[in-house]
This record gives sequence, structure tokens and C-alpha cells, in this order.
Amino acid sequence: MTDTFIVGVGMHKFGRFGDKPASEIGRDAVQMALADAGISWRDIEAAYLSTMYLPATSGARILRPLGATGIPICDVEAACASGGVALRQALLALQSGAHELVLVLGVEKMPRGFMDPLMLYDRWQVEMGMSTNPSYWAMRARRHMHEFGTTEKHIAKVAYKNHKNSVHNPYAMYRKEFSLDEILNSKLVCDPIRLLEICAPNEGAAAIVLATEKKARQLTSKPVQVAACVHTLARYSSDFRVPAESMSVNCVNPGPTEVTAQKAFQASSISPEEIDCFEVQDTDAFCELEIYEQLGLCPLGEAGRLIDEGVTEPSGRHPVNTSGGLICKGEPVGASHLGQIAEIVWQLRGQAESRQIPKAKVGLAHVLGAGGNCAVTILKTLQ
Amino acid sequence: METNINTGQEQRRLPIKDGLLTAPLFPLEYVRLLGSKCPACGEVTLGTTSSCPNCAGSGLQPIPLANNGTLWTYTVIRNRPPGDFRGPEPFVPFGEGLVELPEGIRVLAPLGGNIEELAIGMKMSFEAYKLYQNSDGVQVIAFRFVPSSPANK
Repeated sequence: MTDTFIVGVGMHKFGRFGDKPASEIGRDAVQMALADAGISWRDIEAAYLSTMYLPATSGARILRPLGATGIPICDVEAACASGGVALRQALLALQSGAHELVLVLGVEKMPRGFMDPLMLYDRWQVEMGMSTNPSYWAMRARRHMHEFGTTEKHIAKVAYKNHKNSVHNPYAMYRKEFSLDEILNSKLVCDPIRLLEICAPNEGAAAIVLATEKKARQLTSKPVQVAACVHTLARYSSDFRVPAESMSVNCVNPGPTEVTAQKAFQASSISPEEIDCFEVQDTDAFCELEIYEQLGLCPLGEAGRLIDEGVTEPSGRHPVNTSGGLICKGEPVGASHLGQIAEIVWQLRGQAESRQIPKAKVGLAHVLGAGGNCAVTILKTLQ
Repeated sequence: METNINTGQEQRRLPIKDGLLTAPLFPLEYVRLLGSKCPACGEVTLGTTSSCPNCAGSGLQPIPLANNGTLWTYTVIRNRPPGDFRGPEPFVPFGEGLVELPEGIRVLAPLGGNIEELAIGMKMSFEAYKLYQNSDGVQVIAFRFVPSSPANK
């Protein structure tokens, strides 16, 4: 199969930007990625927009003003995993031989506060009051605490780490360090999950320029290789997530993160032990704990020990969310995974400034959301 | 749509979702939750449905689900849920949880009772109730689980 490479990345800060339209937010990220790749918009052969909350044909609306060059542009949506799915479409286009240089853009400008529940739930669920997204995270956390002795302090420690990391990330929405006490005393949103432990929907963009090996070699001496990019949907009753209305007692299938990560590990011949930096879906702080186990960083039930031992801190063996994660960046859904990719690329190129993990060579980005949509991308530097 | 045969009054009721509750909807004490059992793999899923999400089999049979179960996990909804929530005004925090039923299914439901007393493993009982009356005067019937009274524990 044709090897594929990232030759340019760009980001528009995640946050709230008043009247600035999504199109401008998106184009800012594109211009940065094109400049990073040392190319112009005219060189792009196809483009994919990852978004969940923008209207129809937003990809064309955002990108055609850069030059109506006639290239195919389409919109891709898979909830929190949208970016991974758009990236995968772009990679398939390169691998098929259809194109040599393509762009993936993720843009979002989400309404403030809770997302419109009818985007995710049936009307009856909304009317009965079962449309609070964090409640799903909270119920999984409560069960994990019951089965494995995970504590509220373990959960708070994840938030503590990510808030601390965010101070160094100019692209994050919140860049303030909080004490464990402040986190543990912040308002309960859905027991046991608290306000300083969850992510907020917001605005932002990230853009990635991808190329075939031949093209990448022409453009840069330091391309980052896409070692794997996998998208799967949760199998039956393998994941309790929005908008599930029940789950099975008897049927135990491996969860979407486990399945997707395993496929990515196999495709890349890279094991979790070999990965230097991770960006994962900390929609809430407990979710990150669960992901440690599902990615194979520790056995089931031992995520609390992992955070206690500092393994996932920037100075640990497997730093997770050096960017501050979704808890601090916010989650502009369509841009989220591509923002993770940008962070990993900067880490692998040694351009992550005060967030830099020394000698990072391999990184993994993970997203997971509504409907059990999961995407895992593994990136590596060329030896 | 049904008329209350006990009172003879014209009183119309609808389930909040088709295929989720047994008929008739009078009296409410006799209403039960409906599931579907797959003849091929035996999995039970919530509500009436034609194909099995586990094995893609067909010919699923509707079955009434047990009224009594165990709380498997829960949370407390502290703020008014977004969208067209039909619960009481002003908002009162309530429990939400997965209740495990003997048919091998855990059902997500609002929980009645004291939010301070919720605990994993506690016995819960099914309850159908009038959630609201729609603009046509029809009572919309929803469901929740409440902590079992000592009598039916």
C-alpha cells in the first residue's frame, strides 16, 4: 500500500471568537497549513471538511473563496470522530492513486452551552430528561468506581494534569492551572463528574495537508508518516454512550477504543509501549482513565494506579494530552481530532515548544463519541 | 388512543414511544415495559423491533419485561436537561440510571426517590406515569424506576 505523509499542519485557536464566522476561522487554519507545507491552494487536488454543526456544503463555502479550482470538496461527519473519518477518506484517496496532495480541514462554531439534544437523541429521550450528555460519562465512572475502587480523586488528578499542561498551549481555550481541591470542590454536573472535569463545546479549526511519499519527499525533508488511521463503530452493547437506551447483560464485546486501537497497532506494527505521546478523548476526566485501560497502557481497573504513578504526565513514560486535552482546549467536534494530529505532528517534529516531549518519535491520537464512533491515528517520524 | 373503560370517561393516552409500553394504558399499574427477544441469539433489546442488533437476525418477538430489577449504575441530573424536557417546573434534581432486569437487559431510565439514597445494587421497581398532556389533550405515558418498597423487595 502507498505510504502516506503529513506535510503541513495549521490550527486556529479553540475557544470563542464572537462574530468571526466559521469560514474565516477555517481559512486561517488552512492558510497556516499551506504555508507550513510550502504550497499554495492551487496545489491541492481534493479537500475534505470535517464538521458536525455547520450547514450543508460548508466545505465548498469555506474553501472555494480561496480559489474555485474545481477540485472535489466534500463534508464528512461522524460526531466526535469526524476528524478521523475525514482523515481516513483523504488517506484512501492517496492510497488509491486518485490524488497525490490533499487537504483535510476541521471547523466548528458550536452554539453555547449544551448542544441541541435532538442532534443526538430521540424526542422521547429528551422529553423524559435523558439528554444530558455528561450523564453517560458519569454512569460509567460510577460503575468503574464500584468495580475497581477508582476514586473521585483519581478522576480529579486527570483534570489537574490536563489543566496544568494547558498553560503551555497557546491553542487551548482554558489555560489556567487549578489545585486538586479546586477541582474536587467545583460544581457537580452529573455525580461524580464535576465542572472542572468536563470539556465544553466551542469554536476552532485545524487543517492537515497530506501527500503520497513521492510528493512528500519533494516538499520536505522531515515528513511525518501516517502509520495507521482506523475508524470503527461500537459493536452491539460494547459501549454505553449517547444515545444508548439500554445495554446487554450477557453479551460482552470489546469496546470501540480497544477494537480501533488494536487494528491501528496491527496496521502499524507499533505497540502501545512504543508510543511517546498520546492525545485522547478526555470528554471528561474519567473518560481518559478508561482510555488508559482500553489502549493497553495498563490492565483493566488499574487506571487509577497509572495516574497516581504519574505515567501519563509530561515527564512520565507515556505522556497523555500534553495539549491540555479536550478539557482545556474545548471540543469543536469536527476540528477535534485534527487538532490532536497537529499537536502530535509538532511533538514529532520537535516544534511543541514548552510542551515538547524529548525525542518523541511516535504519537497516537484518539477520538470517541456519539453512536460509538471511534477513530485512532498513529503517526511516526521517518528514521 | 384509548378510552378509560373503568371510569367510562373519554380520556386518551399514548405511550411516549410506540412499542415501548404494553397496552392497554389503563390502569397505569398494569402497564409494563416492552422488549424484543431474538429467536436466533436470545438477546433481549428495548422496545419492539424487527431486526436484532446483535446478530442481525429477524423475527423478533415482543415480550413484556419484568417490573423489578437492580440498579447497576446511576448519576444525578443536577441541572435542567437541554431541549424539550417535560419534567416538573421548577426543576428538581433527579436520578438517572441503568436498571438490570432478569431478561438480561439493563434499561436506561429516570429514577424516582431520594437522590441522596441511590446506591448500586438497590432494588428498583418499574413505574409508568403521566409525563404530560399534549396539545390535543392526550396524556403521554412515560416510565421510570423507583426504589422498591419494603413489601416487594
